Amino acid sequence: MNPNRPFDCRQVQPPALTRRDLLKSVSAGFGYLAFAGLSAEAAAYQSPSLPKAPHFPARAKRVIFLAMQGGPSHLDTFDYKPLLKSDAGKPGDKGKLVAPVAEFKQRGQSGLWISDAFPKVAEHADELCLLRGMHTDIPNHPQAFVQLHTGSARFVRPSLGAWALYGLGTENQNLPGYMTIAAPIALGGAQNYGSAFLPASYQGTRIDAPPGTVAVAKKNRKNDTGMNQGIGNIHNAHLSPEAQRSQLDLVQSMNRDLLASAGANSEVEGIIESYELAFRMQTEIPKVMDMSKESAATLSAYGVGQGESDNFARQCIMARRFAEAGVRFIEVCHQGWDHHSGLKSRIASSCAAVDQPIAALLADLKQRDLLKDTLVIWGGEFGRTPGNGSADGRGHNAKGYSMWLAGAGIKPGISYGATDDHGGAAVENQTHVHDLHAIILNQLGLDHEKLTYRYAGRDFRLTDVYGSVPKAILA
Amino acid sequence: MLNLQMQLLARRVLAGAAIVVAPLTLAAAEKPTEKITPDQLAFFEKKIRPVLVAKCYKCHSAESEKVKGGLLLDTREGTRMGGATGHAVEPGDLKGSLLITALHGEKKDSLMPPKEKLPPEVIADFEKWVLMGAPDPRDGKTKAAKKPDLAEAKNFWSFQPVKPVAVPQPKDASWSTLAVDRFVRQKQEEKQLTPVGEADPATFLRRLHFDLVGLPPSPEQVQEFVKECGPAGRIPSAAVEKVVEKLLASAQFGERWGRHWLDVARYGESCGKERNYAFPEAWRYRDYVIASVNADKPYDQFIREQVAGDLLPAKDAGQRNEQLIATGFLAMGPKGLNEKNREAFLMEQVDEQIDVTTRAVLGLTVSCARCHDHKFDPIPTRDYYAVAGIFKSTETHFGIGGGGNNGKNRQPSTHIPLVKSYTPPPPLAKSAEGVQVASASSEKKLTPEMAAKLKKLADKNPRLTERFKQMSEAEKVEAYERIEGGGKLARTAKKAGKYPETPDAPKPVGDPSGEWAMGVLDGKAADCPIYVRGELDEKGPIIPRGFVTVLGATGPAKITPGQSGRLELARWLTSPENPLTARVMANRVWQHLFGEGIVSTPDNFGATGERPSNPELLDYLANRLVSNGWSLKQLVREIVLSRTYRLSSASDAKDFATDPDNDFLWRANQRRLDAEAIRDGILAASGRLDLTPARGSAVSEMGDAPLGKGGKTSQLTADSRHRSVYLPIVRELLPEALDLFDFAEPSLVVAAREVTTVPSQALYMLNSPFVYNNAAAMAKRFQGTSADLTERIQTAYLTALSRSPTAAESARAEAYLKAHAAERGGSPESALTTFCQALFASAEFRYVK
Repeated sequence: MNPNRPFDCRQVQPPALTRRDLLKSVSAGFGYLAFAGLSAEAAAYQSPSLPKAPHFPARAKRVIFLAMQGGPSHLDTFDYKPLLKSDAGKPGDKGKLVAPVAEFKQRGQSGLWISDAFPKVAEHADELCLLRGMHTDIPNHPQAFVQLHTGSARFVRPSLGAWALYGLGTENQNLPGYMTIAAPIALGGAQNYGSAFLPASYQGTRIDAPPGTVAVAKKNRKNDTGMNQGIGNIHNAHLSPEAQRSQLDLVQSMNRDLLASAGANSEVEGIIESYELAFRMQTEIPKVMDMSKESAATLSAYGVGQGESDNFARQCIMARRFAEAGVRFIEVCHQGWDHHSGLKSRIASSCAAVDQPIAALLADLKQRDLLKDTLVIWGGEFGRTPGNGSADGRGHNAKGYSMWLAGAGIKPGISYGATDDHGGAAVENQTHVHDLHAIILNQLGLDHEKLTYRYAGRDFRLTDVYGSVPKAILA
Repeated sequence: MLNLQMQLLARRVLAGAAIVVAPLTLAAAEKPTEKITPDQLAFFEKKIRPVLVAKCYKCHSAESEKVKGGLLLDTREGTRMGGATGHAVEPGDLKGSLLITALHGEKKDSLMPPKEKLPPEVIADFEKWVLMGAPDPRDGKTKAAKKPDLAEAKNFWSFQPVKPVAVPQPKDASWSTLAVDRFVRQKQEEKQLTPVGEADPATFLRRLHFDLVGLPPSPEQVQEFVKECGPAGRIPSAAVEKVVEKLLASAQFGERWGRHWLDVARYGESCGKERNYAFPEAWRYRDYVIASVNADKPYDQFIREQVAGDLLPAKDAGQRNEQLIATGFLAMGPKGLNEKNREAFLMEQVDEQIDVTTRAVLGLTVSCARCHDHKFDPIPTRDYYAVAGIFKSTETHFGIGGGGNNGKNRQPSTHIPLVKSYTPPPPLAKSAEGVQVASASSEKKLTPEMAAKLKKLADKNPRLTERFKQMSEAEKVEAYERIEGGGKLARTAKKAGKYPETPDAPKPVGDPSGEWAMGVLDGKAADCPIYVRGELDEKGPIIPRGFVTVLGATGPAKITPGQSGRLELARWLTSPENPLTARVMANRVWQHLFGEGIVSTPDNFGATGERPSNPELLDYLANRLVSNGWSLKQLVREIVLSRTYRLSSASDAKDFATDPDNDFLWRANQRRLDAEAIRDGILAASGRLDLTPARGSAVSEMGDAPLGKGGKTSQLTADSRHRSVYLPIVRELLPEALDLFDFAEPSLVVAAREVTTVPSQALYMLNSPFVYNNAAAMAKRFQGTSADLTERIQTAYLTALSRSPTAAESARAEAYLKAHAAERGGSPESALTTFCQALFASAEFRYVK
């Protein structure tokens, strides 16, 4: 930092030492320099992805975000509106009111109302915290999907996962800290897992859905690019592991010479470390991504090989494997929730594709004792309208919809927030996308108002100037 | 949080007079303690104060950890004055009291306390209180800080005019070669720093080559330069001058330094954001920037062309086209084409244009003032909308049509036609009087015979009717001549039809060449209202078009009637009196040669930016830039010929203790090469680099569907041997070789790139086909030359690292090559390939020392 920089009295809140400063000027450290007893001048290198302490004790060590692209209907799944059924056919805001296409029942000890569209997830009702007062700004897919991921549809901003990685680093240095599976190519594309002005190392690594065993509907595979089945450059096509190691030894001996030379640079130490990590990643990543060791019982529990659920089942198993291996932020995506028409049959098929995999994921995390510190998030970019032009469809609704959270210190078996009688708009304990982001960071031990990054002269936040964490949903 | 007085003040002033910031105290604050009856006091203490304390003080009192919305409710003054959005309490006026509105939560997101609607009886109490005149015993001033006034703000260092500076005379008189050195040495003496010695010749030559052209020197160039420096390794100035002149004159200089500008200009070949469509003509702007740098176009002219090229006089079609293409600068920002609301789309575009222009040229974030007065810099919202009016009066042509695109583009736009002949339009003053302005010339009159013939043709073809309608008389004459001369009209028509013809496409001024560009033209000239908090439905007063007040703009700009004001903006930006333009650019040049600018926040010269480490040097350089006719090459030359630039990167314990960050340049900074130089360096070493400029861009062939679907992208990632500056820069789909090494995010104005070190870079070096194939090609180059291992190693080091190996390095390499060939069952060729790959992978390869 420039020593001439004066304190700016007009800033009521002078910027504290930001994480970026920490990132750039690390005093404590480890590594070759310390061993070599070289001068203190080359401050020890610290990988940007090393774990960092949270602002306060974290309840979540990792996040699994089940992104349902298209705007899943809350009215037919998680938001029980008896009046919508009895008033069906009466005029509503966007046309005649459309009755829910699935029956609602009270579930578990908690008695939460969940519809038959999600029979298996409903069995985990006592683990869920339903956010029934969600709202967002724009009822358009591209803008809303980008806002769900970055907080802003207007500007190019870092994604939620990138902020999480920037704030916390990642636990397993042999894996990327932020994985996104089957993210849409359109609708903002890489912006939804990008780092924008944060260093590029915090961006998400995108992979296609793992290849399936059964033919699945084209719509369920529409995100496949056919390009990144795995992580880039992980296999060497020319050298045996031994030959590559000897090549790498040569590289590293050159690097250590450079490090030892006058005017050593801490970045060189970083390069040395990055090669060792890369070498280990070559064996670690294929191991983590290899699902062949999963038991038949597990595969079947998730719904692998079972028609419509096969594809998403694989994504969920992969998500669990990443979670287990210490990936900080994992997103899996399922598209096709834009049910303007054919509501009844399409709700049924979309839910059938994800219900069993999600239920199995929750059970699996719990059984492995991972749910206690894994925050699971389910939901889309917005919800649907109670009324519609036709009786078998629903329009886009940004004013009110539902998402749910599970695990990681979220109060289980509760419902927070509410929409109006027909489910058209959130009226009680409204939760904006900014609030959702604040909640997610909060569970990760990060204060959304303090996690800032200075860009173009100002300290930016994921939540901009918004966001609050409703205490009522915290266990 | 911004002080509420000033916010309110600014709002009031904006609503009325032209004075922007002046001290003003509100009547409510000046009043002596109000008379309160005992009953009123009791009511306040019982019904109001407890609620304020319990429900509001957490976020709205001097004790708040963070004051929200600039609103303080812990004094009468603060309560009356309100916060960022207006008066909290207007005694006797329920509608004018935002506090009451907030308690009701009537407006979107405005319920207070957040998410906790107070009981109706409590709200009723507050209403009663307001209606009784809001009696409030709480005297005392609010704690919010004062914002300085404009005169005071002008004292900030970067808003001060650039004054002539005397070259200092450091005590160590013999050290300096040039004036630049005296500034540096003087500062070092003040800090008791002693510069280290000169870099060795090979290291210096590599540094010079990468800095100026982004490529390594060839082995022959290294050997020749080292020879000239003699056994003692002292670098003769004549030898440096020779190399510098050669590099400055080479076409590669513009490719390197043009790319620096493209970072700042957020150059991208697609619109990015939610639906990513190609900008098929964006590459013309890239080529324009490279050519301008190579021609050493004066920087002020370079800026004027990009901001107002369409309004500048041109001597011929070539210059006209060049200046139209230049305005692509304003057209190629990221765009959310899914936006339904035209007004919202346009205001986003205007905002983006203000942002890129002010940050690129002035190093100021004027766009911060869109929704509120700038929080740190003296830029009121009024200034923002004065500039916004200029861009609002401009039509942006980014050439993504509405015809195809699967109907998903809600904001279609055309390109601007380029011309093959150009007759300057008569002065605008005349056109305003209604004089014919089209390019009709006296000798090109349409005779009745010609007209009849054209009509006959048009009757047969309704499409021609349309085209003729849009033609000037001279164009019709030309069309006639072409038809007479062998039916060339058809060919031109086909060319022109590259993009679907739309009635709203701009008419060319001159004869269309069939080529098109992105850019801007003047639209309907009008001043812009303030959009309160940036909201479209809350319009404030209309602000006359103008510039940034704190930078010397006084009142509305004098704009040629009927024009947008971009020409005047361009002239104001590049006026020698503008305190920022030359400083910001001189700083950028310094930054690219030393790794860090004199101001280390190169696009933020405002209050939150860093202060210059050597202000006199910065002003000296800014003066030199202007006095040398804004020549960038001259500035680069002056810096790289300095002794400071020649320093080695060696360390010194004493200096390090004083100045660990090397702010005062007692040594050279080690710098990682940027992504392009790494890729180009690999191609250069392998001998596969194609130095001819790429023609156009692969993006031009991508069609009008959203980008990103599997098959479509393979064209973009196809193997290219051109320099990296010519790779397609599609937003969200960057080439891997660039993306992995911290390439500038093309959706953002990037003044300084990050340097990150991550395993994915290592994996790329170890496993990517690109690195392997080039290592194999490099190995092949040596196979014919010498069978002697030592010689091969020597050449490999010279090629990849621009230096000879030490004896130990040579021995190590030899041992590796032998072991690899023998023990691992590889051939000598494959051994050599893996050795070359190891050189690419080494840390030294990606650094300049």
